[in-house]
Amino acid sequence: MLAAVGATACGKDSGSGGSSGGGGGGDITIDATSFPDYIDPQLSYTLEGWEVLWNVYTPLLTYKHAKGKEGTEIVPGLAEKMPDVSPDGKTYKLKLRPNMKYSDGTPIKASDFTYAIQRLFKANSGGSVFYTVIVGAQDYADGKADKISGITTNDSTGDITIELTGPNGTFENLLGLMFAAPVPPTTKLDGDVTNNPPPSSGPFVISKVDAPRSLIMEKNPQFKTVKDAGATDVADAGVDKITLVQNKNQSAQVTDIAQNKVDFMIDPVPADRLQEVKSRYPNRFRMEESINTYYFFMNTQKAPFNDLKVRQAINYAVDPEALNRIFGGRMHPTQQILPPGMPGYQEYKPYPADINKAKQLIAEANPADRDITVWTDDEPDRKRIGEYYQNLLTQLGFNATLKVIAGDVYWATIGNQSTPDVDTGFADWFQDFPHPDDFFRPLLNGKSILPTNGNNFSRVNLPDLDAKMNELLTKQITDPGVEQQYADLDKAFMEQAVWAPYGNEQFTTFLSERMDFDKSYQHLLFKQDFSSFAVK
Amino acid sequence: MPVGVPKERIQGRNPWYLAWLRLRRNKVALGCGVLFILIVLFCLAAPLWADHVAHTGPNDNHITDTVSIGGVDTDVVAPDGTPLGPGLHARYLLGADQNGRDVMVRLLYGGRTSIYIGAAAALVTTVLAVIVALLAGYYRGWMDAVLSRILDVIWAFPVLLLGIALGTALAVGGLNLGVLSIAGDSIWIPILIIGLVYVPYMARPLRGEILALREKEFVEAAVAQGMGPLRIMTGELLPNIISTVIVFFTLNIANNMLLESALSFLGAGVRPPNASWGTMISDGYQLIYTAPHLTIVPGLLIVVTVLTLNVFGDGLRDALDPKARIRLEH
Repeated sequence: MLAAVGATACGKDSGSGGSSGGGGGGDITIDATSFPDYIDPQLSYTLEGWEVLWNVYTPLLTYKHAKGKEGTEIVPGLAEKMPDVSPDGKTYKLKLRPNMKYSDGTPIKASDFTYAIQRLFKANSGGSVFYTVIVGAQDYADGKADKISGITTNDSTGDITIELTGPNGTFENLLGLMFAAPVPPTTKLDGDVTNNPPPSSGPFVISKVDAPRSLIMEKNPQFKTVKDAGATDVADAGVDKITLVQNKNQSAQVTDIAQNKVDFMIDPVPADRLQEVKSRYPNRFRMEESINTYYFFMNTQKAPFNDLKVRQAINYAVDPEALNRIFGGRMHPTQQILPPGMPGYQEYKPYPADINKAKQLIAEANPADRDITVWTDDEPDRKRIGEYYQNLLTQLGFNATLKVIAGDVYWATIGNQSTPDVDTGFADWFQDFPHPDDFFRPLLNGKSILPTNGNNFSRVNLPDLDAKMNELLTKQITDPGVEQQYADLDKAFMEQAVWAPYGNEQFTTFLSERMDFDKSYQHLLFKQDFSSFAVK
Repeated sequence: MPVGVPKERIQGRNPWYLAWLRLRRNKVALGCGVLFILIVLFCLAAPLWADHVAHTGPNDNHITDTVSIGGVDTDVVAPDGTPLGPGLHARYLLGADQNGRDVMVRLLYGGRTSIYIGAAAALVTTVLAVIVALLAGYYRGWMDAVLSRILDVIWAFPVLLLGIALGTALAVGGLNLGVLSIAGDSIWIPILIIGLVYVPYMARPLRGEILALREKEFVEAAVAQGMGPLRIMTGELLPNIISTVIVFFTLNIANNMLLESALSFLGAGVRPPNASWGTMISDGYQLIYTAPHLTIVPGLLIVVTVLTLNVFGDGLRDALDPKARIRLEH
């Protein structure tokens, strides 16, 4: 998923003055530089969005609320147990827990899962590409069918049966994503519901949205029905209310937390305050590992980036160390698709930084079209990355224009095929689940070039590599040789220089004094687990 | 010869010369005018500083470069992201920003941009305001009603909000009006926006003056002599408001610079990576706690420049027409 990194939060409301009993509860305020892209489980595809929604909408399966690798284990959510999978790997059977209710008191039904999957296609979700493996899904998406034939449900028994077009080594992971979280059929089928989110099935409910300024999450009064039905792996809320507020100034966010006016900031501490926070507040600050890749996308379907030499030149020109310094030293340099910690990762450096080699390749390519539009969003470090990249392209002889747009709408803008001049720009990707297909399919598969909400910003369409991707998907990641084949796929894409990757970012946790620092943790997939927030 | 009549011929004084004498007596206004000119010259010298002293351009990134300071090679941007601070060294006199750009070079180029936008927008405002005022004041009737209502609509919007709305709308796609096409990142976008939003603030008082002058005998005489409207407006009315226009123009530059810096600070003015004093305040705002000079220095320059312009403009008003009640209210 993507990270606008920071919704801005300017919260100075009464949240930070709430009660803090030993039995939990209390109101807290968190800052974000960019507001979540959508408050919609089927549409949101950013770190900020999932961070908020993970504890609001519970899928049939979910991920363990645990730190580190343990958090990537799939466990039952709204389903009674892990699915029964047929020997050919094409049929998944699950059963919904009984007597559960959404936050508005509406019963949670098995058919709500089908409705959620239908929304993925009708609302043009960026996550829909994962679910075309369901029989009938593509026909439904293309308007040739009025239902998805591969999903059958029985609301009275809670049975859910899913037929796949072929065995899929990631399907349980996909059932644990926000995209697959059941929603009632009263939810708008074919559009964004940010301003009126569906009722919740998690520990929190979104009680108020004032996009893009703020939102409020409160304890879900009906969550007890989910817990009573046996969903012990879905965590309880540790506080009564969370107010998320936007604040574009990350340095001011740091000061607010240092002064205990705000309790948490979603974004990392900015580079210039990092040393100060590390030394002055060691008992409420720590660095956090994250599995992500930061890169510059290059539109391979239009000049000049339809020329391999130009793309390779960019890779040679980009200096990962320079970008690391923009991030205050929090960036592990990289030049490949998969990040460390992802199965299939094998470190290699295909394009060591060499500006002269880059200029030589540009001279050889001699592109006729040298007008390039560079895109980035308005968060401070992204803007600086954009300025660095624009200057680099200028040094290489291009006429580069920088376009900076708000982080709240950045991904939707560059992921929209009708946006003109999307040549190159900033992008990032955080793992949705611990499987390399998550990095290849939504970002580099030809079928992921979507009219809206697409994530294949480089518009990569390499049928041979897509075929390899599809072949590997039918296998389990633990099968012999599969990880090596994914590593080879990584190399194959980088030989085509489809991206200019430069780093894997570390995050930070910085909390106010009244927060229980030890209870709070960052999940490898969903970043900050809001259910782990607790007031001392 | 009658008693008391001087023997020498009395020389008549040109009204402009008299104005200059009055201005010269106002040492504060004159001093501010000189200071403003010095600031402009300083900013115009930006390429000289960039080429011969700093050896870098305003947008050149030097993140992993080093610079020799006191014989020691020092990182322009340290591995932890901390940029070089200000010091007595020719390169990076005011330090570097987080992209390794020379702050002093950006300050000078930023000044050129801010002053250029201020002056160009003032010219746009003046031309449009004079045309509107002349047409509305001379023709009166329905022409005056229509033009005045248009001015009222623009006037009704808070200047900053209107500027932000237009700036944001035009930033991505630019302006396309048939033959007139301006790219979204062009400096002419903020110039036209700022120039447009201030038209009512100049046009309305000028219209009032024109309406008063319209009733004077010399205008009646011109009409009686058969002069056409264009000739009357340009030959009779315009010269009588020129001193007001000059004062408004000067004061307007100051307002325009303030609006430009506000729009650029909010991301709706000068587009990155180009520098203006407003964008520099915005860039430095993130480092306000650790490198406050990045915000304070461009902010101070805006204050000093606007102050000198306002004081000089007031002095000019007093010199050109001591009885004038000109105020650029907003």
